[in-house]
Amino acid sequence: MRRRTTRRTGEAHWAAYVPNDAAPWDLRRVVHLHRRAGFAASWDVLQRDLKEGPEPSIERFLKGDSCSRHVPRRFEATAAALAESAEIERSPLRLKAWWTYRLAFGPDPLGERLALLWHNHFATSNLKVDDPALMRRQNDLFRRHGRGPFGTLLAALLRDPALLIWLDAPENRKGRPNENLARELMELFTLGVGHYTEADVKAAARALTGQTVVEGEYRFTVVDHDAGSKTILGRSGPLAGDGLIALLLEHPATADRLVWRICDLFLGEGIAGEAERSALASGLRERDLDLGWAVETILRSATFFRDENIRSKVLGPVQLIVGAIRALELPPKAVNPQVLAAWMAAMGQDLFCPPNVGGWAGGRFWLSAREAIARINFARTLAAGDATAPPSAPDVLALAERHGCGDPSLFLSELLLGAPPPPAWRARDAMNEPDRAEAARRTLARALASAECQLT
Amino acid sequence: MQRRTFLTSGLCGSALVSLAPSVPAFLATAARAALPKQDGRILVVLELNGGNDGINTVVPFGDEAYARHRPTLHIPADQVLKIADGLALNPAMRGMARLWEDGALAIVQGVGYPNPNRSHFESMSIWHTGNPGPAPRASIGWIGRGLDGGRPPADGRASAMYIGNGSVPVAIRGRRSVASSLDTIESFRLMNAAAVRPTPQTPGGGDDLAEFVRRSTLEAYTTADRLAALAPDGGKDPSYPESALASRLRVIARLIRGGLRTRVYYTSQPGYDTHVCQLVTHNALLGELSEALLAFKRDLASAGLADRVLVMTFSEFGRRVAENGGRGTDHGTAGPLFLCGPSVRPGLVGATPSLLDLDDGDLKWSIDFRRVYAILLDQWLGIPSSEVLGGVFGPLPLLHGGEEPIEVLKVGFRGPPD
Repeated sequence: MRRRTTRRTGEAHWAAYVPNDAAPWDLRRVVHLHRRAGFAASWDVLQRDLKEGPEPSIERFLKGDSCSRHVPRRFEATAAALAESAEIERSPLRLKAWWTYRLAFGPDPLGERLALLWHNHFATSNLKVDDPALMRRQNDLFRRHGRGPFGTLLAALLRDPALLIWLDAPENRKGRPNENLARELMELFTLGVGHYTEADVKAAARALTGQTVVEGEYRFTVVDHDAGSKTILGRSGPLAGDGLIALLLEHPATADRLVWRICDLFLGEGIAGEAERSALASGLRERDLDLGWAVETILRSATFFRDENIRSKVLGPVQLIVGAIRALELPPKAVNPQVLAAWMAAMGQDLFCPPNVGGWAGGRFWLSAREAIARINFARTLAAGDATAPPSAPDVLALAERHGCGDPSLFLSELLLGAPPPPAWRARDAMNEPDRAEAARRTLARALASAECQLT
Repeated sequence: MQRRTFLTSGLCGSALVSLAPSVPAFLATAARAALPKQDGRILVVLELNGGNDGINTVVPFGDEAYARHRPTLHIPADQVLKIADGLALNPAMRGMARLWEDGALAIVQGVGYPNPNRSHFESMSIWHTGNPGPAPRASIGWIGRGLDGGRPPADGRASAMYIGNGSVPVAIRGRRSVASSLDTIESFRLMNAAAVRPTPQTPGGGDDLAEFVRRSTLEAYTTADRLAALAPDGGKDPSYPESALASRLRVIARLIRGGLRTRVYYTSQPGYDTHVCQLVTHNALLGELSEALLAFKRDLASAGLADRVLVMTFSEFGRRVAENGGRGTDHGTAGPLFLCGPSVRPGLVGATPSLLDLDDGDLKWSIDFRRVYAILLDQWLGIPSSEVLGGVFGPLPLLHGGEEPIEVLKVGFRGPPD
C-alpha cells in the first residue's frame, strides 16, 4: 500500500500515534493492534512488534505481511485446492472451510478482516444463492478491491452474479420492475436511510433493469433494459447502472456511511465523535473514496491507540476462534477448518450465511445466552483437544515454557490480553491439580471463556 | 348469560376509541379480575419476517377490486375460508380457522403507523422499538424497555427469550434486562458441566461494556443450569407438524411447562418477502403458521396452561395492493395482526382497509400498532405502557377474561372432526 500523508483534511483529528507516557508502546498496545486490526497473534510476533515499535508494526499490517513468518508452505496452493473442492462438490461446508483456512493461516489478517467487513456490508447469503462457486468469486472481490477506491468495489459487486441473484436482479425488467436491488443498493450499500425517496428507489430500479445472470456469468440484456429517462436524486436522463453508481458515489452521504462502517471495525462505541467522523468523511471524498486511506489513517492514529479504545469492543466469533488458533500456534495439520466453521456458526457467525441483507449486527448482539454458551463450550472443547483432528490437547505448558515463561496463567493473560491475569484465571482447581500440563489446559479453558476474553 | 357479538368489519378505529369509554365499568373490572395472575402471564410474539401480504391472508374476496388488482394472485371465492361478510382466511389457514371457531382468535385489521416506511430494516426497527420517528432509533426494544422497569434478577435469569438461530431481536433487548436466545434446548447444554466456573459476583448496576459482558456470561451459566433440569428433547412429537416454526413453538411450550419464569418468548418465521411468484410460497408459509399455532395452543391446553399464554403475530408491513410483474408483490403498508389465546376477545377489530381509497397504491392504515402494544403492556404484562411507548394510545377492546360465550360465524370449510 502506498504511503500517504494526512496533510490534507483530517490531520487535526487523526493525528498519528506517537508513544508517550500516557500511551506507551507496551505489550498491551501490541496485543490491541493485533486483535483489533487482525487476529490475536503468537508470542514471537507480539515480541517482535513490541521491540520494533508502532510504525513498522502498522506498516506490516497495511502491507499484508504481519504474520508471514507462520504461514504454512504452499499456503496459496492449499487454499486454492480447498476452494476448488468446494466448487466441484458444490459444498457450502467446504467453502467455509476454505475461508476458515485463509483466516487461520494466511499472512494478511487485515485483508481478511476487511473481507469480513465487506461480506457483512454486502451481506449475501448462500442459502438463497445456493452456489459455492459464485460465493467464492464474490469473496475474492472483497480481497481484491477491499482496500482501494470504493467505487471499484461497488461497480464490481453490481456485476457480481451472487449479489445479483441474491437481490432478484434478473427479475427486474423493463415494464416489470423489482425494487429489491435498487432499495438495498441505496439503503445499505451507499447512502443509508433518509437520503433518498421512494421515487428514487423506483427510478433506480428502472435504471438497473437488464442486469442479469446467465449460466453463472453477468450479462446485460439490452431488450430488458428500460432506457427511458429517469430522475434519481435530482439528476435526470436515460440513466443505467454505471450512471447510477456515479450518482451514488458523488452523494456526500456515501462517504459518511463508509466512515460508519470502517470506524465500527476499528473503534469502540463513542470513540470517534462527530468531528472526527466528519473529517474522515471529507478526507474520503477528496480521495475518491479510497478505503485503504481511511483504514491507514485510523490505524496510525492516536485515537486508535487511546486507552479508551482498548478492550472497548465485543470480540466476534471469527476473531475469537481464529485468534485462539493463531495465538496458540496450532499447526494446520491439527486443525479441521470445517469444525471451526461450525463453531463460528454456533456462536452466531455462519460464514456465507448472514442472517439477512443487513448482515450481522455485531457488538453486544454477539452475547445472547446461547451464543455465550457456545463460546464457553468452544473454550472447553479446544482445551480438551476435541476441536482438532486427530484429537490433541494443546500443550499450553510447553508453549509457555518455550517462550520462557513457567507460569501458564501469566503467559496466557499476556498473550491474549497483554496484561496480568485476572484473579479468576488462577482458580483453586488449577492449583490443586498435580499434573501441571493438565492444570495449564484448564487455565486455557477458563481464560478463553472468561468475560475478559470476550472483549477486544 | 350475556351473549355478545363480535365486532364486525363495519367499525373503524376511531369508532372503537369512542366506544371504549362507554364500556360499563363493572364489565371492565370483571374482565380484569378474570385474567390469570399477573406474574404467571406469558406473551409469545411471533414475527412474520419479510412483510406479510395481509390482503391474501385476510382475503376481501367480496370486493371486486381484489381480483382486478391481482389477476394472477387473487384467491377465488370458492376456495377461501369465510369468516365474515365478504371476508375470509387464506385457504391454507385451516389451523387458524379452527382457532377462530373456538373463539380464541382476534384479527386486528389495518394496523400501521404514521408515515409508513417500506424498508425492511426501518419498518422492523419501528415495530421493535415502538417508535415511528425518524432514524436513528435506540437499539432497545419495546419489550426490553418494559422489562427494564423491574429489578434485574440477581442470578442473571432472562426475562425474555428468543427461540431461533438468529441474533436476539431488538424488540426484547433492554438496557439492563438480559434477553437470551436458544435454538433447541440442546444448544444450552454446557459441555463438561463439572468444570469450575467463575464465581458469580453480584452484577453492578452499570451500563458499560465490561459490565454487560460480565452479566451476559453469568446469565449464560444460569440459563444452562435451568434448562439442564428439563427433560431432554427426545424423539418426535406427533402432535406437532414437522416444520421449523412448529419445532420452535414446541420448544417454547416445553420451556413454559418446565416452569421457566421467562415472561416473553419471541420467535420468527422468515420468508414473507414475496416479490416473485408469491402464491405458492405465501400459502405454504400461512399453512405452516396456522398448523404450528394450533398445535402449540393444544399442547398448552393439555397441560392446563393455555390461559396463561397470549400469542401475537405481526409483520413489518403489508404489501402493495396490485401485484407486480413477477407474480409477486412489493413492499406496502398496513396489514393484519393476530392475537390468540383464551384471554383474547375474539373477532375482527378495526375496519377492513379499503382497496379503492388507497395511498399511492398502498392500503391506508387505521389502527396504530402502539395501541396494541399498550394493551399488551398494561393489561397483559402489567407494565405501565406510557413510559415505554412515550405516550398514551387509545385503548382497544382486545382482552377479556370473562366466561361469556361469543357468537362466532362458523368458518365454511370441511376439516376433520375435532
